[in-house]
Amino acid sequence: MVAIKDCKKKRLLRRASSSTVTQALTLAAMALPGLLLQPDVTQADDEVGFQYGHYQESRRQLYTVPNNANPIEAESLLGHARISLTDRIKFAFNYVQDTWSGATPVTTSPLVNRGNRSVRAATSTGRIVTVGASPYMTGQIKLDKNFTPLRYGDNGGPLIGPDERVVHVLSTASPETRKQGDFKLGYEWDESALDIGGGLSVENDYESHFGNVNTRWDFNQKLTTLNIGASYTDSATAAIIDHDASPYITNIALASLIDMPYADQIEQQGAMRILHGDRSDWSVNLGLSQVLTKSSLFETSFGFTHSSGYLENPYKVTTIVFVDPKQTSAQLTGNVKAMLEQRPDERNQFNFSTRFVQHISPLDAALHLGYRYYHDDWDINAHTFDAEWVQPWGHSWTITPRIRYYSQTAANFYSPYLLSKQAYSTSLFDETTGRVTTTYFDKNLLPANFSSDQRLSGYGALSGGVTVVKQLSKAISLEAGFEYYIHAGSLKLDGSGEGSYSDFNAFMANAELNVNLSALDQPLPDSGHEHHHHGAHHQHHAVSPAGVMFDHMMNEPGAYMLGYRYMYSRQAGDMLHGDRAVNDLAIVNNGCSKGAYRCRLTPTYMDMHMHMLDIMYAPTDWLNLMLMPQFMDMAMNLRQLDGAPEAPAGAHVHSGTGHATGGIGDTGLYALVKLFDRPMHHLHVTFGLSAPTGDVDIKLRRTHKQDEGYIHYGMQLGSGTWDFKPSLTYTGHLDAWSWGAQANATVRMEDNNDSGFAFGDIFQATWWGGYQLNRWLSTSLRGSYTEQGAVSGQFYPVVGVVDNKFVSDVNPKAGPMDYPSSYGGRFWDLGLGLNVTIPDGQFAGNRFAVEWLQPVSTELNGYQLDREGGLSATWYLAF
Amino acid sequence: MLKNPLLAGMVVFSYLSLSACQAVTPWQRGILAKPSMALEPHPAQSAFREHAYGSREAAAGGSAAKGGGCGCY
Repeated sequence: MVAIKDCKKKRLLRRASSSTVTQALTLAAMALPGLLLQPDVTQADDEVGFQYGHYQESRRQLYTVPNNANPIEAESLLGHARISLTDRIKFAFNYVQDTWSGATPVTTSPLVNRGNRSVRAATSTGRIVTVGASPYMTGQIKLDKNFTPLRYGDNGGPLIGPDERVVHVLSTASPETRKQGDFKLGYEWDESALDIGGGLSVENDYESHFGNVNTRWDFNQKLTTLNIGASYTDSATAAIIDHDASPYITNIALASLIDMPYADQIEQQGAMRILHGDRSDWSVNLGLSQVLTKSSLFETSFGFTHSSGYLENPYKVTTIVFVDPKQTSAQLTGNVKAMLEQRPDERNQFNFSTRFVQHISPLDAALHLGYRYYHDDWDINAHTFDAEWVQPWGHSWTITPRIRYYSQTAANFYSPYLLSKQAYSTSLFDETTGRVTTTYFDKNLLPANFSSDQRLSGYGALSGGVTVVKQLSKAISLEAGFEYYIHAGSLKLDGSGEGSYSDFNAFMANAELNVNLSALDQPLPDSGHEHHHHGAHHQHHAVSPAGVMFDHMMNEPGAYMLGYRYMYSRQAGDMLHGDRAVNDLAIVNNGCSKGAYRCRLTPTYMDMHMHMLDIMYAPTDWLNLMLMPQFMDMAMNLRQLDGAPEAPAGAHVHSGTGHATGGIGDTGLYALVKLFDRPMHHLHVTFGLSAPTGDVDIKLRRTHKQDEGYIHYGMQLGSGTWDFKPSLTYTGHLDAWSWGAQANATVRMEDNNDSGFAFGDIFQATWWGGYQLNRWLSTSLRGSYTEQGAVSGQFYPVVGVVDNKFVSDVNPKAGPMDYPSSYGGRFWDLGLGLNVTIPDGQFAGNRFAVEWLQPVSTELNGYQLDREGGLSATWYLAF
Repeated sequence: MLKNPLLAGMVVFSYLSLSACQAVTPWQRGILAKPSMALEPHPAQSAFREHAYGSREAAAGGSAAKGGGCGCY
């Protein structure tokens, strides 16, 4: 994942300083890009990059049932950095965050079982309307003597005939977020390198730790490179089984009666069932890259991975149709049941991949051809072919069209569903005792392994896309990519893949900003940009605390600044009303809309993480422009209130589990205008607009046969309104001391957003002092007062279906977080900060700051969780 | 494809390792140093796409450990 292509230009060029022109050319040319199979941290320029990606699938074919569920989509954020600690020691790290939500197949079943059933509801006039589909994993079907399912007309209509079609049963997942951090540390010798790496990936239901070691050996005047690597991954699943589904999963339903697979791995916590599993993966790989001619190169590699442990997908069940062959009627009755999928406990995977790159001189383009063969002992064989045409265009553009074809055979235990020729259960009445004894199916008559996960089916996938790169300067590049992906059984190499019921399409889009730290200060050839020395042309601002935004201006025309800002805040502890802690009963009686509802739920914590990119440009010395996209994710947990009333029909019933949301937040556009600038005092005003790019229409998924409306106001990703964000900032310094003050506001420019509400306006005043401890370290102390109004308006009513009846508003109303009056308040905070500025060396100009904001006094509107505090961390580089 | 993929790969690997490549002197490597000739020209984007492929295709394993989570959706 660590992006590594270029070789050690810097080191080689430094060595060339005393050599002849020929030697210099030689050394420069030896800076071969990417003669590597596995990216090697030691072989690349220093770089920082940020990427946003979006993955979106199409709706699945459900035949007769309207599919109105949003298909799966994922939002992804990547931040990566690679830096040289010394000439020979390199460090790289990545941070990845994905949030996904939407409908995916939970199983596959005969179409006649109606796994996706229309949700029907009566309107106020008594008319029955179909509003969507709901998943059913069990049921009864009729089959003919050849065990072919039979279709009947709707509502007990006459027999139509055999129907062998199958269909995915779709289930919708609420948003979930995964976060991953990983690093690599590398040491480089003249003709070899060693790097070690490791990381952690965390989701609510899955955690994995991994480590790896790679070595590289150059031979033959660096025409040949050999790579050897090994890695280990250890993962643990703790999957919460859908509470709507668990009574219908045979492993759970019969666990108390007979010995069922996975029963010992399922932990019960109240009404929740958690499936636990551990797995480990060992991997080794061996690769070779070779320069073939002065315009072509080649790489090839072998990989082997051994996986063991719980290799299943905990959210996939396999449909089993139990048919008692002793039935004498003309038509057989089949009992449709669902069992957790059972995969082998081991998997050995082999890979062979090869890649060839040829330069096409007349067009100065590069043709990349790749092929990968994969085989595992589940009998999956896969072939991947891909081709890319990298076409530079003009001085600064590169356009890369790309095509990829993938085909795989099915795993030997894959089946859309299973037919078991035995009774699911048999009841015998004992006349002497008067008791009924029930015996269940013999699980030894089922295959040892089975899965209907379509990833293990036979199919092909064809995708194509394009990547466009714009090089803004030697150092900065913008990249955008798009790919369309078609998955179809008929695309399998021999055309014999899974039926068309499983076909889907998807697209992937991404945008990336990269800064090559090694190339800063180098303008594009012919660009006419003047040369800057980075870090040298922005005003003194070393001790502005990390939590203060728009604290400084750049005063050199043409200067750029890139920053990354992370903000975290947490609410937890007591529930407060005003500034006093309240007990559960007070919340039950007063926390929700008085009279109409009594509260049943209350939050136990709420975490918010914001990742912001600050891109600042100075067209003149008195005006700076700033673009601030952001990515957010939030998590909240709820609990039942003591003394809470029973849940009324249509009410939000979750408790004990978390809610999460994540994705793009609002985007800020700012203009900073200098008002006053003297050596000791500086004053500027900022005019900002916040564009409503964050979602404010995120809804909870349908559960317990009940539609649910919008997730709580505070869990939406943006404000949904265009907001005006002015601020006035004063800073000053004398010797080692510095100080400043700022007043800022957020004014909603619309009465309500598309979901019906607007967050309250915000006013904040903050002031700080700082002291420079030495050349690189300073410390700050800050006070802050913030006032935010309550939410105005409220979510528009969401019409939904609850227990087959239309309900005019299914928005959750179970706790204070669902009420506009329980937002906003008045806060006093104290901030303690540290700032590091790297004064010289290759990282001169990089600034890091961190600040903890400790609540001092809190007075909240309505009923809200107390505040625990907030962390701000920033990195800036001007150039 | 040979029946044993490992064997097939070994044959190709050995052939390429042993076959005489053109002698490319260091000062003839200007073209090879172009960004377009990098084996992976768009690494971050590839990682994003590979993660999507990896959560939808069976043949994702077999390369170095880099996390990627459950991909259970």
